[in-house]
Amino acid sequence: MIADRTGATTLLASVASFSYHGDAGPALLGVEMAAAPGTLTAVLGGSGSGKSTLGRLLGAWVLGGRDGTLAGSLQLDVAGVPASSRPLAFTGATDDPRIDPGAWARHVGYVPQDAASMLSAVRETVEEELAFSLENRGVPRAEMVRTVAGIARRTGLGGLLHRDPATLSGGELRRLAVGCAVVDGPGVLVLDEPLESLDQAGVRTVMELVHAELALGTAIVVLSQYADALTRAAERWLVLKDGEVTAAGPPGQILQGHALAESGVVITSPEPDAEPEPEPAAESGLPMPAPPAALPLPVVEARAGTAAALELANVAFGFGRLPGSVPSEDSMLLQDVNLQVMPGEVLAVTGPNGAGKSTLLRLLNGLHRPLRGDVRVAGESIAAVPTGLVARRLGLLFQHSHDQLFERTALREVLFGLDRLFAVGAPERARAALAAVGLEASENAHPHELPASGQRLLALATVLARDPSVLALDEPTVALDAHGLERLTAAVSAAAGRGAAVVLVTHDIGFAKAHAHRLLRLDGGRLLPH
Amino acid sequence: MSQPSLTLPPTDRQAVRRRRLLELLGAAAIAATFVFLVLTQPADIAGGLGSVSSLVALGGFLLGALLLIVGVLPTLPTSTVVLIPVALVLNIVLGQLMGTSGLPFYLDSIGTVLIAVLAGPAAGAATGALSSIVWSFFNPTVLPFAAGAALIGFLAGVAARYGLFRRFYLAPVAGFVTGIIAGVVSAPIAAFVFGGTSGAGTGAIVSAFRAMGDTLLAAITKQALISDPMDKAIVFAIAAMLVYALPRRTTFQFPFVRRFRVLAGREPAARNS
Amino acid sequence: MFPRLNPLTTLTAAVAVLVMTTAAASWAVSLTVAVGAVLLSAAGGTLRRVLVASAAIIVPFWLSLLVIHGLFFPEGRTVLASWGPARVTAEGLSFALEMGLRTAAFVLVLMVFSFSVRVPELVAALTARRVPPQVGYVLASTLLLAPLVAARLEKVRQAQESRGLVVGRGIGSRAAAIRLQMVPLVLGLVHDAGIRAQALDARGFRSAGPRTSYTEARDSAAQAAFRLVAILLALAAVGWRIVESLSAGSLAALSLSGGGPG
Repeated sequence: MIADRTGATTLLASVASFSYHGDAGPALLGVEMAAAPGTLTAVLGGSGSGKSTLGRLLGAWVLGGRDGTLAGSLQLDVAGVPASSRPLAFTGATDDPRIDPGAWARHVGYVPQDAASMLSAVRETVEEELAFSLENRGVPRAEMVRTVAGIARRTGLGGLLHRDPATLSGGELRRLAVGCAVVDGPGVLVLDEPLESLDQAGVRTVMELVHAELALGTAIVVLSQYADALTRAAERWLVLKDGEVTAAGPPGQILQGHALAESGVVITSPEPDAEPEPEPAAESGLPMPAPPAALPLPVVEARAGTAAALELANVAFGFGRLPGSVPSEDSMLLQDVNLQVMPGEVLAVTGPNGAGKSTLLRLLNGLHRPLRGDVRVAGESIAAVPTGLVARRLGLLFQHSHDQLFERTALREVLFGLDRLFAVGAPERARAALAAVGLEASENAHPHELPASGQRLLALATVLARDPSVLALDEPTVALDAHGLERLTAAVSAAAGRGAAVVLVTHDIGFAKAHAHRLLRLDGGRLLPH
Repeated sequence: MSQPSLTLPPTDRQAVRRRRLLELLGAAAIAATFVFLVLTQPADIAGGLGSVSSLVALGGFLLGALLLIVGVLPTLPTSTVVLIPVALVLNIVLGQLMGTSGLPFYLDSIGTVLIAVLAGPAAGAATGALSSIVWSFFNPTVLPFAAGAALIGFLAGVAARYGLFRRFYLAPVAGFVTGIIAGVVSAPIAAFVFGGTSGAGTGAIVSAFRAMGDTLLAAITKQALISDPMDKAIVFAIAAMLVYALPRRTTFQFPFVRRFRVLAGREPAARNS
Repeated sequence: MFPRLNPLTTLTAAVAVLVMTTAAASWAVSLTVAVGAVLLSAAGGTLRRVLVASAAIIVPFWLSLLVIHGLFFPEGRTVLASWGPARVTAEGLSFALEMGLRTAAFVLVLMVFSFSVRVPELVAALTARRVPPQVGYVLASTLLLAPLVAARLEKVRQAQESRGLVVGRGIGSRAAAIRLQMVPLVLGLVHDAGIRAQALDARGFRSAGPRTSYTEARDSAAQAAFRLVAILLALAAVGWRIVESLSAGSLAALSLSGGGPG
């Protein structure tokens, strides 16, 4: 439904500098870019490169004046709208033009990395959420219903219109966020990490959506830290590092140079569906630079007689329909799970979304309690032991680092609860853990202000600082850029090297194969050999 | 207009004046109600039961609060509007918990003070009034305190405007003074409309004064003068702690914070650790 | 039965009933209104939730009233019992009963309204009345925020426990845990709010023109007439009360609490 589409739209941005209020240095410096109708442009960069800031500036989510000081110009050229083609010049002074975000976003739709933050959170169904910006513009109800139906068809949300947005899966939520952004028929669409943490089906629907929009003549800008199937389809790449452009041009040309590797972009297979099934060929045989160096692990064979660091015996678990109720036998999420992990062993568990991988890890430290069976950490059963005490031996990295970080500086974050574990030297330990993940310069930074990769590494540091005998890592590779992946790999092998057992669940088969001694698959509630 | 401009027009002076008028009317309604209640205050406690007093108290304060809300809310930037529900939930959840805890405090204005410090007196006043009105959908006993809650928000914003949140030790002092004023304003309401206070802990203090033979209004006023200043000192201190724990990018999003240099230092997070 | 009514109709009805109850200032009226509210909630199928939520508010309030007025009521003449300074008087008890019942009626009526209203319909009704959109947003967001806050608090607790926080059974330990969880909870909520504000602005939240609603605000001439009648009745009740108190002098109300001089 593009009744409102005002015509082919071109966006030209020239950011001489942009710095957030209160920040010491600029987040962007000398970035020029253009988005032309029907083209795909990819802005690539590692964590903290400023690509999200650029995307938010383009989509008027971040405004010069309100959120920071902007020098440069923004120009929106909408066919048939003469007033739009004048460039808006910003100098950082108080008499700069003030962009009306609502009017701007009708032409430039921005979809954030965290799709949930696109939602108004005051609408109880998907269709009401889609209609939010139409309501604000005073579109008559009959037209609104037509538009919503059209958008639902276009984004594949047709069957979900009456669902509560809070109950959608990651892929569905992303499609809803895109739907909310295109409901006004913008000529430019800016997508921030549109494939992040989606399973295969989700990746496919978003890819189809992008290509359909391109065919409609939309100018698309993708911001990403992955040189993957989606960004490889772009006509033009812009590589950012520390807020500055280090390379620009067609993908083929940039893949030959060094800028990409230096920026921290993760280079993955160009195949869209290269992920879950074991296909080692996916990583090789294609003309692309080698993936970031993986430290080969010395495989420590479990010696007979050594006690297991972690042991699960006949564990069964499920969620009751009502909180507190016992689930029926056939609704069990996990059944007869038996597992032994030796000190120094790295075990990877894979499986489809919703198989219970995260639940399995939560059983290890008592956040969930098994309905049957027993969990033993370092030979002792954790039944009836509070999670806070299990945490002395077992460190858990959460799937979403946002859920794990709650302090006001990175250092305090790592220090939390550390003094209870180590009477002396807690601050030194915390600093060492920060250094191990490369955050030694950010100890006074607010965790929420770190880039996504930094937040993930900080969460990892909180686990490492406690020197646990078992590390349980939930999707540790998600959100990490190439530099972050190197730190993660080093940390995992160092922990295994000093005799800790590592259990990681991941959808990244390549990472699991390269860095684990043993692979298991969680499917149908049971752990199976790969 | 089929194609709205991409930029915002300069501020509409007339709209600003209309809103200001609503704010002033709201404040006037609240002040007039208070004066009426104090002037017609019956000497005998049982006279306090007079439902005319409760009707005037409810009607006048509610009207004032609504005018304030309608006048102020549309002028606030979205970042403030979005924060108000968070403040309301904080107020309501903590207030409800404290009411049943047996402690003679309320702690039902942390959210209000937080908004006032970040977004200024008008936003604080509107938040206080809204807080009471929304809370009253679950607990109508708080409805009459809408005016007092608005006053607390306003005073907290004024304190922030003049830099009392730049020094950590000044915040509780400002809270103490706010508490005295707020206590005097809300005591007649508590007496006339509900014949007491809704909290268990505060109720015990009122009983103590009643046991010494005070009139209900005197007993409630004294209780308020004991509870409110302490309560607001605690609330202001907690709000200050929360504000300093926020990321700077978040606090600097608020023009009020930038314009009046509400918070101290270039590195508040480090200062406080 | 409720969902078919415009939320403004139910709200007007609730407010009118409360105004009349206050104006009547009689325990019998309060009791009738309270019982009526309970019956309505039973008919609407929300009886259990209304009763549980109301009890949580009314019971502590009644206890507080009993302590204040049941034991200490210096103006009371008919002493039923006394221990030291505490005197149980008939006047004190009847004052407490009067206040307690009036508050109970308030709580029950508003609870019935709160549990029957569908938030999007209320917002749509407000939009149709040209109430500033910010008011509707704040109302809806506050009412829908509670589950989000609870979920967020649970996540903070899990994160802290996974890093060695042990919450004991003692009050002190729990209070310490609340303090530890407050700051991250508020920080997270404020942070999310900042991002949400950007999203709302981009989706035209601040646009100045007229607005429409996707959710239909059902309304009818009959409902509009009913609202008008309810408002007039409430005003009449207030007028009647003022006239009566003026003609009887300022102590007229005393008669309500047990037959003093009028």
